[in-house]
Amino acid sequence: MATTLKEREVVIVGGGLSAGLIARKLVPLGRDVLVLERGAPRSGSESQLPSQRDELRWGIQRGLVQRENVETYTLRHTPEETALPMRRLLSFLPGFGVGGGASHWNGQTWRFQTTDYILRSHLEQRYGKAAIPSDMTVQDWGIRYEDLEPYYTLFEKLFGISGKAGNIKGVKQEGGNPFEPWRAEEFSLPPLEPSEAGLIFKAAAEKLGYKPFPMPAANASRAYTNPDGMKLGACQYCGHCERFVCEANAKASPDRLLFPFIADKPNFELRTHAEAFLINYDKADRRVTGVTYIDTETGEEFAQPASTIVLGSYVLSNTRLLLLSGIGEPYEPGTGKGVVGKNYCYQTISGVSVFFEDRYINPFMGAGAYGMVIDEFNNDHFDHSGLGFFGGAFINATITNGRPITTRALPPGTPRWGSAWKAANAKWYLRSFNISCHGTSYSHRGNCMDLDPDYRDAYGRPLLRIAFDFPENDLKMSLFVTQKAHDIAKATGATIVGTPAPRRGPFDSRIYQSTHNTGGTIMGADHATSVVSPHLQSWDAQNLFITGASVFPQNSGYNPTGTVGALGLRLADDLISYLERPRFL
Amino acid sequence: MSEQSLPPIDRRAILKSAGIATVVLPTIGAASRAEAAEPKPQIAQAQPPAAAAPSSAAAPGAATGHQFLSLDEVAFTEALVDHMWPKDQLSPSGTELGIATFIDRQLAGAFGQGDRLYAQGPFRMGKPQHGYQLPLTPAQYYRAGASAIATACQKRFGRSFERLAAADREQFLQELASGKVKEGPLDLAAWFNGLAYPLFVQGAFADPVYGGNRDKAAWKMIGYPGLPAVYNQDVVRFRGKAHPRSANPQSIQDFS
Repeated sequence: MATTLKEREVVIVGGGLSAGLIARKLVPLGRDVLVLERGAPRSGSESQLPSQRDELRWGIQRGLVQRENVETYTLRHTPEETALPMRRLLSFLPGFGVGGGASHWNGQTWRFQTTDYILRSHLEQRYGKAAIPSDMTVQDWGIRYEDLEPYYTLFEKLFGISGKAGNIKGVKQEGGNPFEPWRAEEFSLPPLEPSEAGLIFKAAAEKLGYKPFPMPAANASRAYTNPDGMKLGACQYCGHCERFVCEANAKASPDRLLFPFIADKPNFELRTHAEAFLINYDKADRRVTGVTYIDTETGEEFAQPASTIVLGSYVLSNTRLLLLSGIGEPYEPGTGKGVVGKNYCYQTISGVSVFFEDRYINPFMGAGAYGMVIDEFNNDHFDHSGLGFFGGAFINATITNGRPITTRALPPGTPRWGSAWKAANAKWYLRSFNISCHGTSYSHRGNCMDLDPDYRDAYGRPLLRIAFDFPENDLKMSLFVTQKAHDIAKATGATIVGTPAPRRGPFDSRIYQSTHNTGGTIMGADHATSVVSPHLQSWDAQNLFITGASVFPQNSGYNPTGTVGALGLRLADDLISYLERPRFL
Repeated sequence: MSEQSLPPIDRRAILKSAGIATVVLPTIGAASRAEAAEPKPQIAQAQPPAAAAPSSAAAPGAATGHQFLSLDEVAFTEALVDHMWPKDQLSPSGTELGIATFIDRQLAGAFGQGDRLYAQGPFRMGKPQHGYQLPLTPAQYYRAGASAIATACQKRFGRSFERLAAADREQFLQELASGKVKEGPLDLAAWFNGLAYPLFVQGAFADPVYGGNRDKAAWKMIGYPGLPAVYNQDVVRFRGKAHPRSANPQSIQDFS
């Protein structure tokens, strides 16, 4: 039997980026906020020398991420197949513990393109309705870029983003991204120092007529104090970002910048080891009443009543909790009816390696967003007429790390063991890097999520079942952009250019690609085709709000975190208004 | 692919080849409070520890100080890593580097005992892209694969892998990695590429604190400087240049 606790005003499920941004706003205004986080507080060893630099523990054995023996996902490539559990989570890394995924991210911090929010309208207008494949279920978001711009600006200030503006209020800026959507201000910090790989990439891209620019980074290029008075140190280029918590306090994270800002306020509580089981839903009244959770340390079950609930957990957890709670109509890929679990998208990553006999790349001097980028072939920045696909990718040389188990590019034809393999490692480890494509993932009728009928988590609840494969559209896109990356690779003057590796299906759960899962609780202006409103309010429960990348109707060619941050900050403002006068916004 | 076309895994055959006589189906039981905090794979709890159930007549290699591998498995593993990481002008051999020690410790420890691995049934054969789908812990799986390889080598060469000439070892491994060696119910290419090869690479390049990469020899070989990795000034000073610490790496123990 669950113990019923005292009602709280706002309960946020998931102690990550969204919760931090919302609590940071509501708590100083006197609102009572409780955050339920399933994982633990950070213990310290993950962010201290020397243990922070342990590649096996944090990088390979994934010490900071969701444990698959407690909860994993099942996978099928089409809704017709039988799903099997991903018994190890290797292709993406759901966060676990205070700060969530944004404590062990790389820090590549982008704004989505203006066309992303109106993708269907935009493509129909530019290419005609008939040009969009019938199974491509892309949608408009119900908001415009302009609605989010102030929140992107605030998020970039809070997180001290290092970069170079390309477009300040419509005026193009030399050295920035010429395709950047307009921004109100320059970045908070100057870009990171370019790497040798970045300079090589830059020269090659310029030779081909492109406009390279430094990647916007949440790795602070110098010490920084944000508008809340919270501080970041300068990045040490240690090459331990993704899968790791920063040792230098230089990577902007909720557990460093957001929760400590309000930690001592009496009207704020961050409750750890609290695994949400159910959002209690009064269907007749179209309201949610509280969250049932289990204390994972004691096994005790609690009912936590709440007057307003925010789902701010990982994409997949948001979707699963709605399905488990019976809120909203589950999506059926056969009929296209229903909405919860619809439009699961990912990120379409590919690349090509380059090898230089006579140049030191020194990949061990790295940072998560230590990159040089071109944006000419991303999103709808180029004419897609006659290409047979939509979308694109940014192409970049980013030295995230030179951790030796993970990052040792080898030329084509190298044997996989033996003296020749050793010699190739000795020759190329310091002298190679990857030029990669970070591509769009457009929604497809068959790519979706529901509850698995066979497999359960450690607590006996059904696992989330993912149906996903790369749609034909995205595979064609990947072929196209990878060819462009290959052209740049050839223009670098590399001793050896590797074999270009465009993304190919079927989706392979054994290989890390990206933790950019999106969709499942998508936003939109139409109740019939979305789960939440343009204000991220559940169409099925007035006092339930959902945020995070689960509300993206499809995924852009940019990393999602900047947009997750902007959505979270906008929702915080909407919640202020809602709490003053509860209503459908 | 339809439900019917997914062949069920022959659990009995696999568990038999892993030296485990009985199967207790994993179930979600009333976990104790401690277990609720961090549930462990049920299959590992339901059976005697794999280390206590050696696959063959050989006892665990107490005399060699090994924690999981039996003596014959030690011989196989050392031969394997010495072939894959031969002694040459670049470094000592795989065994001297500690790769076999690393593998033994990993199999005896949390990883080998199935820590984190989702171990609930039903168990079905999937596509390769579904990843590992067997009911065995990594330690049991390693043992089962080593045993199948021993049988395959016996049948083909009349001797065990460690007694093969280098050219035969090379040919056998090439065929093993590409799926041409068939013996018993296990997909031995998946075993090699999905378990043995990653452990081999980790043993070579992980921090020496785990027993491999002894004297940081693999890091010296490639020029990875290790710790402390504080390069705020060096990104400019050594951009495009050899870093002095590449020749003299430091590891966790140098800072402990």
